[in-house]
Amino acid sequence: MIEQIKQVIDNLNGYGFSVLVLVLGVLEFSFGLYKKRWNTNEKWVDIACFTIPKLVVKPLVAYYSLLALPALLPTLKNTFDWVPFLWGCAIIAVADDLTQYWYHRLHHQVPWLWRFHRTHHSASYMGMAMASRQNIIYTLFFSQTYLTAALVYLGLGIPAIVVKGIKGTITTLAHSSIPWDKPFYQYKVLHPLAWILERTISTPATHHAHHAATTDDGVGYYKGNFGNMFFWWDIIFGTAHISRQYPKAYGISHYEGDQWYAQLAWPLFKSKVAGSELAADGPIIREDVPLQPHQLYRPDPVVALEAEQEQVDAQLQLQPVKA
Amino acid sequence: MKLEESTKKQIIRNASLSLFLYILPIALMFGTFAITGQRPWEKKQHQHKQENTVKTKTSNQQDND
Repeated sequence: MIEQIKQVIDNLNGYGFSVLVLVLGVLEFSFGLYKKRWNTNEKWVDIACFTIPKLVVKPLVAYYSLLALPALLPTLKNTFDWVPFLWGCAIIAVADDLTQYWYHRLHHQVPWLWRFHRTHHSASYMGMAMASRQNIIYTLFFSQTYLTAALVYLGLGIPAIVVKGIKGTITTLAHSSIPWDKPFYQYKVLHPLAWILERTISTPATHHAHHAATTDDGVGYYKGNFGNMFFWWDIIFGTAHISRQYPKAYGISHYEGDQWYAQLAWPLFKSKVAGSELAADGPIIREDVPLQPHQLYRPDPVVALEAEQEQVDAQLQLQPVKA
Repeated sequence: MKLEESTKKQIIRNASLSLFLYILPIALMFGTFAITGQRPWEKKQHQHKQENTVKTKTSNQQDND
């Protein structure tokens, strides 16, 4: 049985995960889930962050795993390959995900680290592409990557593959704009399951709350919900905010579309947007500003109507007067 | 901009708890071994010994050939 599970997840990790990402991407586009917010600059940011870090990070991890670890720990290769599969999965899951929780949390709570993580939060939409939208230096120092590679070297390779497959699926689905968790909140019979689910893993509702542009509406909570695969770290450490609604606006309230190269490789490249946190003379952390109607991803119908009316009025005022 | 004192204290407190959480699955695994009497590492040592014996035998045979 365990062998079969291993095989299924191994296959999922090989081609299944790529298929999942492709299917999700197609669905998100087909249903217009980016709501026309994916402009040229954002496309460049998402595509550059998805592709370029891989060209740097993969060879680095390969070097670390194949050359550095054998040189540092020459006698320890496969020392712990006797660890039973399920225990191996538990060890890897805790080591990898708890380390990532801390890496993520510190980038939010330690002011000077925030700008390395800002790119992940700047988009005003959610989607599976968000999972890899990161500054290259943030990706390069992903501490859990090196810890997990060391555990693989010590003999926990198969559990690592399985956990990586499960974790990749959970985090991609948590970032996706498809609210797959909604039925769990809608149908009363599923509420007990929802209670367990939202406390165990990252769901779109709790992770979208982390990507909200504001914490003032009782739904968004960018000051917490740092968990990636497991949400229980947030519960244990008191950084959780459980929501069954989705935020009205995503991103950063004062974001004005910093250039893709600055978002990819700050501080190597700086933003040309005056006052931006990524600009050469920008502040380490800029205070939030009140949200404007156009920033709302899910506007209230009345507010949306008023905003539309304002736009029409403005257009009428700008019409040239006929002679 | 500096790290707030309350945040700093919370980080230190939670980091200490994390050390316990990192060790937890390893401790539980050995706890299970103690209860069930399993010794998977011995199985590995036994396998190694067998492999070494086979290797020695093979090399001896080759020497004799």
